[in-house]
Amino acid sequence: MSKIKTILLKSLKELAIISPIFYIAIIFAFLIQIYVPEDLFNLVLGKNIWIAIPIATLIGIVLPIPRYATYPIALALFMKGSGYGVAFGLIGGEVIGESIARDIIEIKYLGWRFVTTRFVLSFVFISIGGLIIDVIL
Amino acid sequence: MSSQIFIDAFFDFLKVLPILVIAIIVSQIIAVLLPSKKTKDIFKENKKNIAKASVVGIMSPGPLLAYLPFLKTLKEKKVAVSLIAAFITGQTLIGPGRLFLELDYFGWEFFAVRVVLAFFIAVAMGVSFKFLERYIKY
Repeated sequence: MSKIKTILLKSLKELAIISPIFYIAIIFAFLIQIYVPEDLFNLVLGKNIWIAIPIATLIGIVLPIPRYATYPIALALFMKGSGYGVAFGLIGGEVIGESIARDIIEIKYLGWRFVTTRFVLSFVFISIGGLIIDVIL
Repeated sequence: MSSQIFIDAFFDFLKVLPILVIAIIVSQIIAVLLPSKKTKDIFKENKKNIAKASVVGIMSPGPLLAYLPFLKTLKEKKVAVSLIAAFITGQTLIGPGRLFLELDYFGWEFFAVRVVLAFFIAVAMGVSFKFLERYIKY
């Protein structure tokens, strides 16, 4: 019984700490969604895959696009001739840094060193993956 | 305009709140009931377990947010960050829920290659963290 009480008390304490941070992070994500220009995506339309794929990955990581909204954007870029690698980079990058809210919670839980390393390595590996998929398909 | 952002953000927050509550309770159950030594024994750091963590991540549905409190507990119980990194990478790169959307947009070949690449990226991530752990304190 005391263990259940401990679990519930610790859970409430954790929730009280994380909830305000999470709410503020969501507001921040909304503000970015409103003020970041959509034209930024046109940057990834270049024909040089060595540049286009890393840029697509970076845009995916940096911009807080909703997960399911990435697919139509990636498809639109693909239809304009940007290739599978750009689609892979954009989708991969987006899910790595999905939203400011999640990133802040991740930093709070796992530490900024872990998250920074994860983002840098993800950028490198997803870019390489994009180049591979562009060659394969 | 500005008050609308606060309202929209509040409704978004309410949508994620149940997941967050469940995730926090699960993580606290593990924190209280599972001894650190046992946790460390289950999640030994080796290449086989990095590959396993990657596969489990790929197959895990839902948002990463739901797993973060649990992962924090594992980290506090000294589970290797390489396993956590491999899991997160697999979990985020491939979502079972997005399968049909992805098939519809890009076809099965793209999805199949993406799953294979996601596995290797997750493993590469885990191995890189294993190496970096020697020099960086996570």
